[in-house]
Amino acid sequence: MTPRKLTSSADLTQLRDQLQKQRQGDRTIITICAGTGCLACGCESVAQAFRRELAESRLEADVEIKTTGCHGFCERGPLVVIQPEGIFYQKVKATDVKLIVDQTIKHGQLVNKLLYRDPQTKVVISKEHEIPFYKKQMRLIFGKNGYMDPTSIHDYIALGGYAAAAKTLLKMKPEDVIEEVKKSGLRGRGGGGFLTGKKWATCRKAPGEPKYIICNADEGDPGAFMDRSLCEGNPHAVLEGMLIGAYAIGSHEGFIYVRNEYPLAVKNLNIAIEHAQEYGLLGKNILGSGFDFDIEISRGGGAFVCGESTALMASLEGKIGEPRAKYIHTVEQGLWDKPSNLNNVETWANVPLVIEKGGEWYASIGTDNSKGTKVFALTGKVNNTGLVEVPMGISLREIIYDIGGGCPRNKRFKAVQTGGPSGGTLIVETAEPMIHESLVAHGDIRDEDEALSLLDLPVDFDALTKAGSMMGSGGMIVMDQDSCMVDVAKYFIHFLQEESCGKCLPCREGLRIMLEILTRITEGKGTLKDLDTLEEVSQVMIDTSLCQLGGSAPNPVLSTLRYFRHEYLAHIVDKRCPAGVCKELVSHAIDETCNGCHVCFEPCPTNAIIGKTKELHVIDQQKCIQCGACFQVCRFDSIKRVKRGEGDAVQSRAKELWKPRARKEASAATV
Amino acid sequence: MANVTVTIDGQRIEVEEGMYILQAAEQLGIKIPTLCYYPHMAPYAACRICAVEARDNKGWTKIVTACNYPVWDGLHVVTDTPRVLNARRVNLEMLLSRCAKVPVLARLAEEFGITEPRWGQGDDTCIKCGLCVRICDEVVGAHALAFADRGINREISTPFKLESQDCILCGACARYCPTGHIQMTDIEDRILHSELMLGPNAAIRIPFRQAIPNVPRIYGNQCIHMKTGGCMLCAKVCPKECIDFNDRDQIEEIEVGAVVVATGFADFDPTPMKQYGYGKYPNVISALEFEQMNNAASPTSGKIVLEDGSEPRSIAILHCIGSRDENQHKYCSRVCCMYALKFAHLVKEKTSAEVYQLYIDMRAFGKGYEEFYHRILDEGVNVIRGKGAEVVPAQSNRSEEGGLLVCCEDTLIGKYRQIPVDMVVLCTALEARADAADLARKLSISKGADGWFIEAHPKLAPVSTTTDGVFLAGACQGPKDIPDSVAQGSAAACQALRLLSMGEVMLDGAYAVITEELCSGCKICNGLCPYTAISFDETKKVSVVNAALCKACGTCVAACPSGAIQGRHFTDDQIYAQIEGILA
Repeated sequence: MTPRKLTSSADLTQLRDQLQKQRQGDRTIITICAGTGCLACGCESVAQAFRRELAESRLEADVEIKTTGCHGFCERGPLVVIQPEGIFYQKVKATDVKLIVDQTIKHGQLVNKLLYRDPQTKVVISKEHEIPFYKKQMRLIFGKNGYMDPTSIHDYIALGGYAAAAKTLLKMKPEDVIEEVKKSGLRGRGGGGFLTGKKWATCRKAPGEPKYIICNADEGDPGAFMDRSLCEGNPHAVLEGMLIGAYAIGSHEGFIYVRNEYPLAVKNLNIAIEHAQEYGLLGKNILGSGFDFDIEISRGGGAFVCGESTALMASLEGKIGEPRAKYIHTVEQGLWDKPSNLNNVETWANVPLVIEKGGEWYASIGTDNSKGTKVFALTGKVNNTGLVEVPMGISLREIIYDIGGGCPRNKRFKAVQTGGPSGGTLIVETAEPMIHESLVAHGDIRDEDEALSLLDLPVDFDALTKAGSMMGSGGMIVMDQDSCMVDVAKYFIHFLQEESCGKCLPCREGLRIMLEILTRITEGKGTLKDLDTLEEVSQVMIDTSLCQLGGSAPNPVLSTLRYFRHEYLAHIVDKRCPAGVCKELVSHAIDETCNGCHVCFEPCPTNAIIGKTKELHVIDQQKCIQCGACFQVCRFDSIKRVKRGEGDAVQSRAKELWKPRARKEASAATV
Repeated sequence: MANVTVTIDGQRIEVEEGMYILQAAEQLGIKIPTLCYYPHMAPYAACRICAVEARDNKGWTKIVTACNYPVWDGLHVVTDTPRVLNARRVNLEMLLSRCAKVPVLARLAEEFGITEPRWGQGDDTCIKCGLCVRICDEVVGAHALAFADRGINREISTPFKLESQDCILCGACARYCPTGHIQMTDIEDRILHSELMLGPNAAIRIPFRQAIPNVPRIYGNQCIHMKTGGCMLCAKVCPKECIDFNDRDQIEEIEVGAVVVATGFADFDPTPMKQYGYGKYPNVISALEFEQMNNAASPTSGKIVLEDGSEPRSIAILHCIGSRDENQHKYCSRVCCMYALKFAHLVKEKTSAEVYQLYIDMRAFGKGYEEFYHRILDEGVNVIRGKGAEVVPAQSNRSEEGGLLVCCEDTLIGKYRQIPVDMVVLCTALEARADAADLARKLSISKGADGWFIEAHPKLAPVSTTTDGVFLAGACQGPKDIPDSVAQGSAAACQALRLLSMGEVMLDGAYAVITEELCSGCKICNGLCPYTAISFDETKKVSVVNAALCKACGTCVAACPSGAIQGRHFTDDQIYAQIEGILA
């Protein structure tokens, strides 16, 4: 179909009806997830294989192949979902394609080895919506990804896209739009949680022309990729949201600031903008309403600090990405000193939903103060990594255990970090005895008090803030017993020190000093005075940093000190890393549970492992560089990370106790 | 703008809304420390040292930076809470851990009570305050400096760390850097004697201590505003607002009764005299350049130095460069011998260098001059009777004694000498200014072949000219030193005053007269009169003779085609009568 400008709401409705009629029927559609994650796993070759197979079987006319945006279950990619049945195949390789075409497409039979098998119950599940990962989610925003080719505006329109925009431009007044958004209770999804309707109202009232609409797609948090997948998988939702916002505020120029490291997002956004312009949904006199609005993409240069709103605007203007004081708000004086409204990608994507279904409907989802759904990027030591969209109010325990499937290999959950390095604080299993002790030592609770586990708190902006934590932008990094909290703090401080713009003294010098101290502690050279310094410098950074990068940089340090002071003390006083991570304080040794499987032999870079198959293996303590490669691959948990110097003791004991294993017993020991 | 009431440290004040806390505090006399603040630029708020606590009366409190927080009605500010003081102290201590040796930080450290910085003592000198970048950007407008890289690697740099093409060498960055991290260096790192100045070298300055009028003037070739359109700080800070960048030259017409010409002399340029290597070899300088270097207000503070900044071990002073010379000026410049001896004396006083004085005659004619000459001889100056013939760079075998070789004939011992010296001072001639001829024509006075203006009588009227009302004073009449110039100046002033005080002019009986009815208005006589005594009356369209200026030379009488001009007492009839009388 050749693109043509839609000049009225009727035009849009007509096109939608036309497209929906085309898509009617039980035509088989093979949807292949082509988000960046699955691309990295080789979905391109899977797609090519499908095209080849269908061509060979002469089925191209009857079966459609659709490459879509991210489906969310990134742990199991490449993902292939066969519609309309919703048959869910995971970890599909190009060599599996022939099987799928032959069995499922031609004869309607399932390929069992590609189906999802629940690791707890061992039950095989064939339908996407029955899989526990998806069952507890409420995929209002992300759900459409699975049904759309992001480069096709037709798919978006067929699914009801731009109907909200048409309603806004042609049937509502700007003030009404703002009222609707206020009614919905939508709060910013970038981490700040500011009431979106209130922000729009202030910007609309602010004097000055022209006004600007900005979408913050800089998503710099390590481990966060919600915005990326939205931009890659459903770019039109963002554009439509911005269009509605522009109308409400009275702006005619919009910018999407995308971080440089998201080439696919930029590509798909560009295509979406081009198509929207061709169809008259961006540009002049949109849908015949008389309203003009266009969007330009601006790419970042690779700086985390440019996710901060004033630094982002400086970068947009072509200046150095440096924040400035926010005593005068950007809604009044922002881009080029004009009123500018900046919102996160996910916030914009929620807007069409609010207008389409109404603010009241939206407000019925979630809690009293946090409405709607939130997309989280679940990563780290969790079985089901990927993107999850849940209603506000769900507990973290449900997210990590019911949706996430808990920690792999039955390891013990330790903490989850939300909100990224700048602002992220730990949410821990406060009922743990050692953590309980730490909290008592910190003065947070009395010994007799039972600390309410933070994991049972509802995901809600205010509830988390009140408990001394933060929801953040959606990154969720799960840590288990093998994560060293001092190392975690060091990691985040190192990240922030590299990303600090360097303008203000406390952030620039404070992070340098804190990193130096944390490094020394992980090397066993820390002192107790160092802990006082960390707390003193942290307070000054919180008080006097120019922007929130420095202002919340101390949070990882402060929260690890609060809950895991015992780990810091172990590093400083005992020169020991309890989790066995910090290289200078650890020795790797094989104990008597060794199965003799010889798997650890290959990965060792210094050939430090001595042993023949079926025999007790030994790590040469002189050659070992503590890289941990053997630890990663051992399936029997036989590699122990003990205090430096105690490796020999473990291994001599192992020598005494070790017995050769029979085959049957070996498989029972498998985790 | 509306006025708001703000309370700082318990003191109330009413100020304009939107003013920053720092300025409001200043008005109350409350000092808040700063490092990166400069009053004539937008606040940068990078150092955070000016942190204060802002409160309202409902319990809200926040730490803000005083330099850029706009005040609002009802704002309470406290500048010395323990939280604020601790924040300042820790911030400074963190900075000291990287920049321990910086004086301005050491002073602040003392103020804040830091004796032992706890986290190291680095020797970096850049505190990243950004003053240099901002001054170059906002005030100067050259945009030659900026911040590059980020975090702890953030540094001040030029594009690609190369020598900047946009830097206008104004020195503002070095001037405002609080730590001395930025230094101005000569690109070639030399002292160019020809560019030494007598005093501060800001673009707006009083040229020298004794300048008249004794007010600053703006030097267009250095002024930043003339180059970039920016700055204008001088106009901003002047309390009397007397700097106007829109000023232009104006031409004024004044009617006077007397003119004193005191236009002075020009310095002879020895560059064409290739044998001396002026402008070719380093450390060959003219007398005026030596004088400038020697002045206590010079950039070398009066020290006598070579181009590389070191002290000379030996100096040769060559007399009569351009004077008493068949090929240049034949006259003697009169003043050089004495100033050359003065130079010798100064060198002996300020350095331990050997001095070689190469002269033809020692002209020590004035009061105390001969005695001074003998004093110089006593000081051990080597006086050599023989004009310096040539200055060449020293050959390798004698270069350790001096970079230059002065060749001359020592006529008293009859030998050819080659003297190695570190520096050569050329006593250049005094010559007439290049515009002397032009001026002479304008004023209708005469100038000699050598360019000096001619006095009415060499013995009896040294300050008058043949043109009434125009007087001479000083070196424009001929080379002379200061006492003589002053004497002549008084004399010329006296003569002029005498003329003016009489109120009337005594005229010679003989002067030319134009008969109006006969004058055709051809104006031939106007241009002919050597004393500019004839002017043209535009209304009557006839020429008129100014009897006061007329010297009765008769040129106009002879030239007038209509015979309209008669010389009084020398009419045709009178002359014929004289001739008849002689022949009778």
